[in-house]
Amino acid sequence: MTDESMLAQSLPRPHKKRTLLNELPPLPMTVIGWQGIRCVLPPEWNLTSFSMEREAGYIRADAPGDAAVTVQIRWQDAAETDRKVGTLYDVFAPKVRKLLGRPAPQQKPPDLRRLLNKVLKDAGKSAKKAGTSFESSTRPEKVEGDELERTAIPFSWVGGGRGQGKIWHCTKCNRVVVAQVIGIARDGGQVQSVAAGLFATLRDHSDDSLDLWALYDLQVKIPETFKLHQQQVMSGHLRLVFIRGGEMIVIDRWGLASMTLKKFKLEEWLATNVTVRLKSMDASVLTLQSGHEAHYYTGRLNLMDRFKVFRSARGLARPLAVRFEGGVWLCEDQNRIYSVQALTSRKTTGLWKMVADSVICCQ
Amino acid sequence: MPSNELGRKLKYAAGKYLPFLKIAPPVTDRKLVMNLRPLHNNQLTWEKGANGDVVLIVPANKNVGPVTRAIAKWAQAPSQRKVELDEVGSFVWELCDGTNTVESIVQQTGRHYHMNRREAEVSVTLFLEMLHDRHFIAFFKKTRKAG
Repeated sequence: MTDESMLAQSLPRPHKKRTLLNELPPLPMTVIGWQGIRCVLPPEWNLTSFSMEREAGYIRADAPGDAAVTVQIRWQDAAETDRKVGTLYDVFAPKVRKLLGRPAPQQKPPDLRRLLNKVLKDAGKSAKKAGTSFESSTRPEKVEGDELERTAIPFSWVGGGRGQGKIWHCTKCNRVVVAQVIGIARDGGQVQSVAAGLFATLRDHSDDSLDLWALYDLQVKIPETFKLHQQQVMSGHLRLVFIRGGEMIVIDRWGLASMTLKKFKLEEWLATNVTVRLKSMDASVLTLQSGHEAHYYTGRLNLMDRFKVFRSARGLARPLAVRFEGGVWLCEDQNRIYSVQALTSRKTTGLWKMVADSVICCQ
Repeated sequence: MPSNELGRKLKYAAGKYLPFLKIAPPVTDRKLVMNLRPLHNNQLTWEKGANGDVVLIVPANKNVGPVTRAIAKWAQAPSQRKVELDEVGSFVWELCDGTNTVESIVQQTGRHYHMNRREAEVSVTLFLEMLHDRHFIAFFKKTRKAG
């Protein structure tokens, strides 16, 4: 055997599978958007837990597969952080102030150190339960953000697992946000790299008064005056319902479009899943900014539908919805069907087009 | 329902409402499950329908008591039943040949139907669980031969 052949044998052989994987296009980063919080996470991460409230809530995103790394983001209105016991004054004062059109009194900034100590105490308790030692470190407070709107304290801890996070108060949206990446103790490198990506992209408010709602490959922008009313997150079907008074926006995303379209036409599919009757509506085809052609329906709501919307808007909500705009389109690249419905008052115009154009279905 | 299965369910229900008993169902190791290989039950046959979807031909259970057998004979119960799978079900069924792991089936299904990884995992694992509960497939773990 020659020296060259021996050398060739001793070298590691190229792995066929790895070569094939390298040829595949890189997976897109995961965009998460929920209640005004938005961030970008590594590919194939998914939102696994969330709350419905905007004032105070949480989201959790998990790494795919067996990786034990998670991202947890909690937020709270800064005014709520110092409130101890709810008095009658606390209940009625904001309402009277709103009635008289008076601004809320200026509040002192929240005590971030106290809130951070609470977070670390909770982590310490978990470590104690697991029977491991707990160590934490915090860095000095700093001012950051594009317009220096954030006062932040970075922190890290090692106990039953490992966490790296940041707590901050944003003067623009007046929220206190605690974001941390948690992993098992030996995942230090991964926790650090995910945390770096997270804190570089994490935003707690929008600059254009439009909230980004992004989960499971759906990305849509909704005016922040609309509140999340209902959600359905199922395998193959995603539905988000937003309300503002009596107005309503319904976003749907269905997977496996090729299978659905074997049995139904797009228009039929919309007619079976829409909140109102489409028979009396004007139909047309509109081209969206994404280039997709949407089957678009518009018209006045009949009495029955108005009653339905009125009922779902919990009674005397104003302004009442009297018009319907709805559309459905197919994204062949993603094999998905998207639909946007807007039930609006007389005064609201252009809402459907704005929302439908903001939907990002294919990159 | 076999009595041992009923007993197991009752035991776990008791454990759930009486936590001091410390009875809980065993925790499933996700990694272990994803590395299992599903394989068709060789007692049933399958064919492809006109639309390309898989039709499973399931023979009637012969391990029944004399009363059930007599009733089945009197009612002229068919000796087999057909189960038609949908498109995705057929795709997954064809991959259950013992060479693919659950992980590989999830990946292939997700890629083929442009499903999100988590969506594909939930759908495929639930479907495989359903096939397993009906004894249409079995799972096995590939082990290395000693020596």
